[in-house]
Amino acid sequence: VLCKRVISVLTFNDGVLFRTKLFEPDYRYTSNFVDAWSIDEIVMLDVTRPGKGNPDNFAEMVREFSRRCFVPLSVGGGIRTLADVERCLELGADKVVINTAALDRPAFIGEVAKLYGSQCVVVSIDVRRTPDDRVFAEFARRPTGKAPQEWARQAQDEGAGEILVSSVERDGSLQGYDLDLCRKVVDAVTIPVLICGGAGNWGHFDKAFTVGGASAVCTTNIYHFTESAIRSAKQYLVKAGIHVRT
Amino acid sequence: VTVGIIDYGLGNKRSVAGAVEAVGGEPLITGDPALLATCDRLILPGVGAFGDGMANLAGRGLIEVLDRLVNREGRPLLGICLGAQLLARESTEFGHHAGLGWVPARVEAIVPDDPALRVPHVGWNDMIQTRPSPLFRDIPEQSLFYYVHSFRIMAEDEDMVTGSCDYGGRFVAAFQWRNIFGTQFHPEKSQRHGLTVLTNFMGL
Repeated sequence: VLCKRVISVLTFNDGVLFRTKLFEPDYRYTSNFVDAWSIDEIVMLDVTRPGKGNPDNFAEMVREFSRRCFVPLSVGGGIRTLADVERCLELGADKVVINTAALDRPAFIGEVAKLYGSQCVVVSIDVRRTPDDRVFAEFARRPTGKAPQEWARQAQDEGAGEILVSSVERDGSLQGYDLDLCRKVVDAVTIPVLICGGAGNWGHFDKAFTVGGASAVCTTNIYHFTESAIRSAKQYLVKAGIHVRT
Repeated sequence: VTVGIIDYGLGNKRSVAGAVEAVGGEPLITGDPALLATCDRLILPGVGAFGDGMANLAGRGLIEVLDRLVNREGRPLLGICLGAQLLARESTEFGHHAGLGWVPARVEAIVPDDPALRVPHVGWNDMIQTRPSPLFRDIPEQSLFYYVHSFRIMAEDEDMVTGSCDYGGRFVAAFQWRNIFGTQFHPEKSQRHGLTVLTNFMGL
């Protein structure tokens, strides 16, 4: 039976690992926190604002992680061209995470999928409540007017292999995932949906699977990636009857 | 042990090389027939589309050298994911494509018998050991491995199957046909058990 996944989403500003709150850098950490054995998958996102920092710093971090982590590694942040995709894969990424570039030109999803397979393409959708749920581009600053479930369906039709949906308001809030948002997107597509934003305790993971219908839960909280945290999260989930890899 | 990781323009060859290195092997990523001939073991990685995979292998003149090294000289070969699928006779991925045809199997789309199951099949799932295999040494029964695929390998001769997985229908998770091995899962992404598979492959 396929396991539900627990994924760490790590955000980097100019090659430095941060946790975020409301999509802004909050605290700074080092990669020494990383427990690469208990986690099911890792997503590395470069959140360096355009024109700032040196892209080589993030690239070096990806190379370093791919050398030490024998779990799937997804890489994103600023991927706009097939050359960007190729570079990420060369650095050791298994999948790429595409967001703004897909919104600007949905056919880009298909171009990546055709070359590297759908399983290589994770389309990331950032959602703000305005008050209806709407998709935002460019670090969730530019409104697109799209409804998340419709955009998710279109992304799937274009060739996406997975959808990563994030609630901006829940980011760093520890208040739990936006379960309505998760369910809406899950019901709109047949590919796996990863939910992100708001996890504060293990019960929130449980709810994302059972109520939200997610295939994977993401945590951006770096403390969830330290020492025995993921292990204890999984023990909790097993007790709650969720099938996970322990 | 030198492990030739066949470079045909598709696949996560860096990840495979990293895992080989982690278990003490010497990875050599190359598409050069002369260099591949110097390797003790060969790995055909692969992420991408079947048609492109075959076209790339042919376009780089690799089929002939691999046929010689693997089928005539008996060099152990491990195909991973798409690399394992390419060893089959044929695939119905986006049309009909002939495969290398070195193992009695075919590749077809995953159509789960339970509509609640999502495709692609992504994540950690079982590998039931249906027959003993040297690759399974030190691997407990029903260990979890990482899968990510939309197409599955179906055996045409059950003798080839060493491990199976069920995701809305049973498919081949691992096989051995003479000196040719294949895994649908990604050993390079399957943590300790995956690394053990690679260790075992190098120790053949």
